[in-house]
Amino acid sequence: MSKLTTVGLTKAFSGLVAVNDVSFNMEEGEILGIIGPNGAGKTTFIHLVSGILMPTSGTITFKGQDITYAPAHQRSRMGIARTYQLIHPLENLKVIENVMVGAVFSKDMSLKAARLESERICAELELEGLERDTTQLSILEIKKMEIARALANEPEVLFLDEVMAGLNSDETKHLIATIQRIARERKLAVGVVEHVMGVIRELTQRVIVLEAGELIAEGPYGEVSKNPRVIEAYLGGAA
Amino acid sequence: MKNKTSYAIAAGIAVIMIAFPAFLGAYPLNVARSVMTYMALAISWDMLLRSGQISFGIAGLFGLGSYASALAVLRGGMDPFLSIVFAAVFAGVMAYALGFVVLRLRSMYFSITTLALMEIFRIIIHNLHDFSGGPEGVVLPGVIFKGSASALYWLCLGGLFITIGASYYFEKSKMHLALTAIRNDETSARSNGVDIFKYLLIAFVVTSTLQGMMGAIQVQSYGFTMPDTAFDGNFTLLPLAMALLGGVHSTIGPMAGAVLLGVSAEWLKLQIPYGHLVVYGIIIIIVILFMPQGIVGMVRKASRTGRRSGRKAGASNE
Repeated sequence: MSKLTTVGLTKAFSGLVAVNDVSFNMEEGEILGIIGPNGAGKTTFIHLVSGILMPTSGTITFKGQDITYAPAHQRSRMGIARTYQLIHPLENLKVIENVMVGAVFSKDMSLKAARLESERICAELELEGLERDTTQLSILEIKKMEIARALANEPEVLFLDEVMAGLNSDETKHLIATIQRIARERKLAVGVVEHVMGVIRELTQRVIVLEAGELIAEGPYGEVSKNPRVIEAYLGGAA
Repeated sequence: MKNKTSYAIAAGIAVIMIAFPAFLGAYPLNVARSVMTYMALAISWDMLLRSGQISFGIAGLFGLGSYASALAVLRGGMDPFLSIVFAAVFAGVMAYALGFVVLRLRSMYFSITTLALMEIFRIIIHNLHDFSGGPEGVVLPGVIFKGSASALYWLCLGGLFITIGASYYFEKSKMHLALTAIRNDETSARSNGVDIFKYLLIAFVVTSTLQGMMGAIQVQSYGFTMPDTAFDGNFTLLPLAMALLGGVHSTIGPMAGAVLLGVSAEWLKLQIPYGHLVVYGIIIIIVILFMPQGIVGMVRKASRTGRRSGRKAGASNE
């Protein structure tokens, strides 16, 4: 079943068209890679579907409902969660409170229920030391905390924007396995922006490729990586 | 266990404060009222600060509450005590309406606009001669509770307790998560279901209501006011200094700051009339430069490092 659909989605910043006429579709339970060279519009695209930016034109549909201009906090309540490329810890809140924010405001849970739920989610992600300040966390722990916070929104669609950045190869492997397990257990549709192609190959069932704001290819990574347009986009016209 | 102890201490202090009139004379009670008024304003200012919004409009809401209460009694023949409730609600309703405009602004734009609002209120009152009494102000037919020093003290204490209660609720409920999330990272808050405008509006309305209430209590306790008294810039500056000195983002910080600065200001006033404002300025500068977390922040830091080194020592003993 199709969860999230965009039709002709476009975002222009005065002259610059960052996302240009992108139509795509995300199915229940699939892990989708969103790739493309720097400045291709991947993060802008996630900003649009999560409501951080409003599109110039086009439509966004979530479970059959038009959410093109719905504010971000409503989308998270409906079931679209995300993490950010740059980490966004709430530094004056403890780790557990960071996670609770998602449950309290997206799911209208009481503080007590949110705490229990958040502890459960952190256990699922093998994140410990929940009474610590966020400044005491390692980079892997911060990433996990942000994924936990997104999961506390009980999303059906989750976007992870360069969640592997800054991790070493063991940590990356560990997080790939964790994301796969969670997506499977929660029947979650996951959209992954990633620069490391090894991660995309391991993690995703399907990828879409953006270049200069346009969707230039779509399909399993194995196919797309052989597509001449994609190779040209990554290596430049001269190659 | 730790919670129970602190509740017991708080209850003990509350009882002592309620009992003050039994063993204090009129002058100390008067000083206490002044300190408590500033304390309530400092706490209310801090409550909004927890969302990251720095208001310079405390005196505006305070003055608005003063005049709403005074004019309700004078022009509407309202019961003085009821007029305090009316003034608090009035300030809250005004904040609700204004919130739709000013809460779209952030950082210094928000601060400057709240400062300007204060001036606008003052100038309106200043110029509505027939209704507000103009620059000469208004004199009430009498002081509430027939001017009994104990009753006035308890009235002010009541206002302070309501403020502390509201602040404590902000600390312990989901308001704490909402306001801290907004202060730390609005984008992240939005992505996690926090309706930023809604929670800012709640905080703005609640704190304005409290400030209006304290203004009303003040005017009913003195029986007169005028624009330059009700909208005195000190009602913005002193609470701010107290909260900064004591330590922001908590209830206890502004309280500690208010006791320290309030009592020392009273003493300084007697030593160097008007000079106490210079001392205030110096204190603000020193606090911002050397102890941005305030007294409470320093104590917390000290106790944390103390505990940590204690644990280390314990570990090496084993």
